[in-house]
Amino acid sequence: MIKLKYLFLSAVFLSAGAFAQKQESPEKQQGHTNNNKFKQLYDEFSTPNMYRTASGAPGSAYYQQQADYKMDLVLDDTNAKLSGFETITYTNNSPDTLKYLWVQLDQNMRAKDSKTPLIQNDAAQPAATPGSFANTYLTEPFDGGFNIQEVKDTNGRALQHMINRTMMRVELPKPLATGDKFSFSIKWWYNINDHVNGRGRSGYEYFPEDDNRAYVIAQFYPRMAVYNDVEGWQNSQFWGRDEFALPFGNFEVNITVPADHILDGTGKLTNRKEVYSKEMLKRYEQAKKAYDEPVVIVTQDEAIAKLNTKSTKTKTWKLYAENVRDFGFATSRRYIWDMMSVKIGDKDVMAVSMYGKEGNPLWEDWSTKAVASTLKSYSRMTFDYPYHKAISVHAKQQGMEYPMICWNYGRPDAEGNYSDRTKFGMMSVIIHEVGHNFFPMIVNSDERQWTWMDEGLNTFVQYVAEQDFGKWYPDALSEGQTAYPSRRGPAAKIVNYMGGDQDFIAPIMTKGLNTYQFGNNAYGKPGTALNILRETVMGPELFDYAFKEYANRWMFKHPTPEDFFRTMEDASAFDLDWFWRGWFYTTDYVDIGVKDVKKYYVSNEPNAEIKKIAEQRGMKLSDLPPLVFFVEEGSEDFNNDLKGKTALENSSTLNEYIMDNFTPEERAQIKEPKYFYNVTFEKPGGLVMPIIVEYTYADGTSEIMKYPAQIWRLNDNEVSKVLASEKEIVSIQVDPNLETADIDTSNNAWPKEVKESKFDSFKKEVRN
Amino acid sequence: MKNLKIAILLLVIPALAFTVPHKYYVSVTSVEYVKEKESVQIISRIFIDDFENLLRKRYDDKITLAIQDELSTVNMYTERYLKEKLQIEINGKPVKLNFIGKEYEDDIMFCYLEIEGVKAINSIEITNKVLLDLFSEQENIIKCKINGKNKSFLLREGNISRLLNFH
Repeated sequence: MIKLKYLFLSAVFLSAGAFAQKQESPEKQQGHTNNNKFKQLYDEFSTPNMYRTASGAPGSAYYQQQADYKMDLVLDDTNAKLSGFETITYTNNSPDTLKYLWVQLDQNMRAKDSKTPLIQNDAAQPAATPGSFANTYLTEPFDGGFNIQEVKDTNGRALQHMINRTMMRVELPKPLATGDKFSFSIKWWYNINDHVNGRGRSGYEYFPEDDNRAYVIAQFYPRMAVYNDVEGWQNSQFWGRDEFALPFGNFEVNITVPADHILDGTGKLTNRKEVYSKEMLKRYEQAKKAYDEPVVIVTQDEAIAKLNTKSTKTKTWKLYAENVRDFGFATSRRYIWDMMSVKIGDKDVMAVSMYGKEGNPLWEDWSTKAVASTLKSYSRMTFDYPYHKAISVHAKQQGMEYPMICWNYGRPDAEGNYSDRTKFGMMSVIIHEVGHNFFPMIVNSDERQWTWMDEGLNTFVQYVAEQDFGKWYPDALSEGQTAYPSRRGPAAKIVNYMGGDQDFIAPIMTKGLNTYQFGNNAYGKPGTALNILRETVMGPELFDYAFKEYANRWMFKHPTPEDFFRTMEDASAFDLDWFWRGWFYTTDYVDIGVKDVKKYYVSNEPNAEIKKIAEQRGMKLSDLPPLVFFVEEGSEDFNNDLKGKTALENSSTLNEYIMDNFTPEERAQIKEPKYFYNVTFEKPGGLVMPIIVEYTYADGTSEIMKYPAQIWRLNDNEVSKVLASEKEIVSIQVDPNLETADIDTSNNAWPKEVKESKFDSFKKEVRN
Repeated sequence: MKNLKIAILLLVIPALAFTVPHKYYVSVTSVEYVKEKESVQIISRIFIDDFENLLRKRYDDKITLAIQDELSTVNMYTERYLKEKLQIEINGKPVKLNFIGKEYEDDIMFCYLEIEGVKAINSIEITNKVLLDLFSEQENIIKCKINGKNKSFLLREGNISRLLNFH
């Protein structure tokens, strides 16, 4: 008899099991490979090796090449030409012997024979304005490519070289063995482009009212390509979009410009006394001790006074930078200049801004403070900012980063008025570009291959830094705002993109050149994914430790995507392969909802289902073992008396069991659930994510439950949970705080909410 | 022939370089037919800075969008422009678009338009030339939800219209 009872019990449990078995299909199904969403990423990841370990750290044989530069540059302001003579010393730290070196000639993207225009899809226009017609059909194209005048070794012997578009192969006189150095020089010049009308990351803006230019100059010199263990020589050409891959090195740069220019750039100024006036030196000393308000080194009046008295003399500014991957500078007689110190760890860093008068009043108020604030936030999230300064230069329509220096937009109108959009646009771009000092200038990922590795990580930290900035400088906010209005970061802001047309979405793990909606793909989605990972999936404590570990492991090194993915798991004991797979390797989206809710009470009486099972097995109901029965509200077995009573009150069987097995003290502690719910969740979206559910009770209280993503491991479409509650549940809401980027919230509530469409609610608002 | 090549080069050069955050020119217009209301509801999402740029170049360079004291002419110009650049034919006949209004969210401008009195849609032709007069690389994505069917497509220079048939 006992045996029979157990048999019966197992029959009950089996039939009530969580797995809704599919109807047997008439034909035998084919087998399949492992396509579980939680499958480890062995197929996508490269195999760990001595260069890069399985934990995501640099391996015991990790190496990186070094390229040191000595450059003499001369700016011809009259003709907007830049010429230079540079000596590169290349150190081969790889275990390989190199036969030739590759040098990048990025300016050739602007050469007359550039192939970049030829890969653009275009179409004829039915008509054109006379102005655009003239520009288009009647003038010569701008020639902005490099003119390479000589490539020589240190003895003055010409070196064989070959230019393939934006890359130049330099033949070595003899192969370069491990540990060897090779020095060679290049003499070059090029026409500087107008970055406002021609667009581009580098160039000048021309001001017709005073006939002056403001130069922001970068990727202006032949630069060594990266050679490493994952790509060999970086051989992906510069088409104009995907940015740069550069080795670290030391730079000694002398820049000759008109004597009345103000110049700043990557590196320490080594001849300050030669180029600063006495007054500027005095102000500079004050700025070293100013931690709250910037000190103006060159005032607006002083800048204006120079506009019409153009110096014909020149001055040479000397800069020296150690361990940087690139070099950029800005120069003009139009610049106003201010500086302020910021404490990072136990070190003072100089936050610097350079801007023309048209940047004011916005720039004098906020640029330098935004720089200082950014350095603090990013240092907290990664490592102490290792360089001695960070400069924000104002350039129209620009937002571009280089080591220690960046160009940023945000310009009031002619009367000095500006909208919130202009103001927060300017603050955000400064925070973003200064933040790039960390990613990719120091954590030196390969931008040419993986835009998201610097842009995505940087957009994520940018969000943290913007929120800090709003807290630290509440005056920067506008009336009625309580927090900085970040454009990217919060989950809800990526919903439109992720829920959009799949034809125009690419996985994050796609080369930038080949993506649609570049900004959403490489900035918005990875930035938001990391924010969701931090705030919703892992929690800030686990996330921040691991993120910091990644930054520190790869500071001044060259990480790959796997190094990031692996480190985040390695340092947190959080298996994230499912998250990387879904968010980074696919275009799947989040859509999780409540499909069905059933309410049960405990009863003494066997319900119809149990009766049926007993009958099938030829048992009498009296033969049943002691059982606690569940009755669904509204079913034929249900009666209203069950409502509102505890399980013990409704089931004498249970009550007897408790009396027999629990001491009076234990009985005083037991829970008294009255309501039982079977909640079924559905997942129309491809992404697996934790289910975050808010249960609201009849007494008005509510609680939030979080079921880990692994709840989906055995059924990717539908799962259910049983809840025992002392209080009646009146509503259930999935993702109540919109933290998962759920693209369709119409299925998130029980009972179903009928929401007015965006169109209807707007129309109603307008009509009222 | 050589001149034509240069011309094409020049035409596309402005599309080459990107600054950070990188600029791309795209708008998204959703077109939904709500049969019980006999209404086609249209929401166009356009970048505020692009549209501001356009209104300044086309109508009035004093215009700034999304500020407290926005000029009262903005709605008029927006309506005039959208009605000219967004044209729809239903069942082979041009239809009238009512401009309901606009609102801003982050850097996006939402423009609401409606076609009323639509009893049935057998075919719809949508022409979208929004911002093509300013940026030759502008891409306008259309997302339709009509008669229970979802259909998305991309309109750009040289391909400004699409006809959908429902049978």
